[in-house]
Amino acid sequence: MIVFVLQLVVAGLTVGSAYALVALGYHVILRATRAINFSQGEFVVLGGLVAYTIVHVLHASPWIGLIGATAAGFALGWVYERIVLRPAARNGDIAVIIATIGCVYILLYGHALIWGSLPQPLAPFTGAQGQAIHPGGVAIQEQSLWVFALLALAFAALWLLFDRTTFGKAIRAAAVNPVGAQLVGIDVNAARAASVGIAIALAAFGGTLIGPITLVGGTAGIAIAIKGFVGAVAGGLDSPMGCAVGGLAVGVIEKLLAGWLPYQAVDPVVYALLLLVLIVRPQGLFGRKDAVRD
Amino acid sequence: MSVPLLEVRGLCAGYGELGVLHGVDLRVGAGEMVAVLGANGAGKTTLLRAISKVEAAPRAGSVVFDGVDLASLAPQRIVRLGLSQIPEGRQLFGELSVDDNLRLGAYRRGRTERDESLRRAYALFPSLATRRANPAASLSGGEQQMLAIGRALMARPTLLMLDEPSTGLAPRVVEQIFAILARLRSEGTGILLVEQNAFLALRYADRAYVMAEGGVALEGSARDLAADESVRRIYLGAALDEER
Repeated sequence: MIVFVLQLVVAGLTVGSAYALVALGYHVILRATRAINFSQGEFVVLGGLVAYTIVHVLHASPWIGLIGATAAGFALGWVYERIVLRPAARNGDIAVIIATIGCVYILLYGHALIWGSLPQPLAPFTGAQGQAIHPGGVAIQEQSLWVFALLALAFAALWLLFDRTTFGKAIRAAAVNPVGAQLVGIDVNAARAASVGIAIALAAFGGTLIGPITLVGGTAGIAIAIKGFVGAVAGGLDSPMGCAVGGLAVGVIEKLLAGWLPYQAVDPVVYALLLLVLIVRPQGLFGRKDAVRD
Repeated sequence: MSVPLLEVRGLCAGYGELGVLHGVDLRVGAGEMVAVLGANGAGKTTLLRAISKVEAAPRAGSVVFDGVDLASLAPQRIVRLGLSQIPEGRQLFGELSVDDNLRLGAYRRGRTERDESLRRAYALFPSLATRRANPAASLSGGEQQMLAIGRALMARPTLLMLDEPSTGLAPRVVEQIFAILARLRSEGTGILLVEQNAFLALRYADRAYVMAEGGVALEGSARDLAADESVRRIYLGAALDEER
């Protein structure tokens, strides 16, 4: 029983890592542009597919795939801000929401045109597909260990960037006070584009991490976008720690429920738990109270 | 005054359909303190915004700063030329520390230059040094105004534009801030000051402009304007009453 539960927790933390990276992306974009980017999940899929192309078409190492997908994510995010978010923002918040939802479908059918609609297997970073270690009888795929380590690395890198570098603080400054940022000579548009680039890079990074476990491509993006959003809201959209913990928690809850409930019942229960959190703590588990606006 | 530091000619600006400035001419020399007076709605704030291009853009006319026409420059380029604006409301980064606010004032400058400017700022405002790790939002109004000035000075401006620096502050703090402005001027920094307290502004400034309905109604030395009958009646009346 305990091994069974631990097995589910490991599986939950693995998929939850992708939700956590998506949730962090929501946080970064929301701060910089005051918008929720609903296409975040499609960029997870796209990142996995870019890595797939690098590893299986160009025959490069999975590490090159990871770096390439992350870099491509940053570049795509930068362009996405310029050609989608910024023009849409001139027409108000609703226009931005519609534009990001529209992009879900453009990206979904776009990558199906290029890579086909069937999910593809992606090589794990080390070892053979599915190779696992078995501490105490719990099977942990080597790839899951990479997922945990690299999620921690991404989180640390974000913290270093936004709390320890002038560039990161300039991005925060542009987010909390665009007028003040202009007054000290920060290019606010570039700061926004960089923020979105970072968020999409996180999504592509996440897609490459879990690709060897979940397959890449197909229609998984929408579910990842929603689960990541649930994690971000439950943890607190204004708190990076909340987004990370919330994303991981959604993954674990989802897999634990799947251990006992029929799969059709899993998502409704996950969303019901979100509603419960919102009723008890509207700012999320880690959020600040003053972040809740009416 | 041979070649002015800032030369504004025929400047028009506004917001959307609304025209606010209708052809303003103004000059500020190096190391000169120039005050802009006028009633609410005369266009004083818009004048500063149209010069810095933060929150407003010129529609006609020219702004030449330090020999450079600002027409084609983005706001961040204008700051780097040495023109810094301190708006009403200060626009600090509330959640960031005092230290971070100051350091961001020298954004894009080298580390050594930034550290040097930081030492100068703390020497100028010792009360900020004791609160350097506190978030800017936790400071008192006077300290926030000092932080706004300190942050602007981090970019080493040759011209500082201030919008109503005395608003909402205790008289003792206002005197402190104007003493610092006078010191900056004596060190060669040009100062363009929008101020509703005309008595105070004319006491410190070298020259002044009186704006009305989006244009310049009067200009002259601060001494002449302070003695001018119409200025005294319209703009100094309340201030003189307060002084009595």
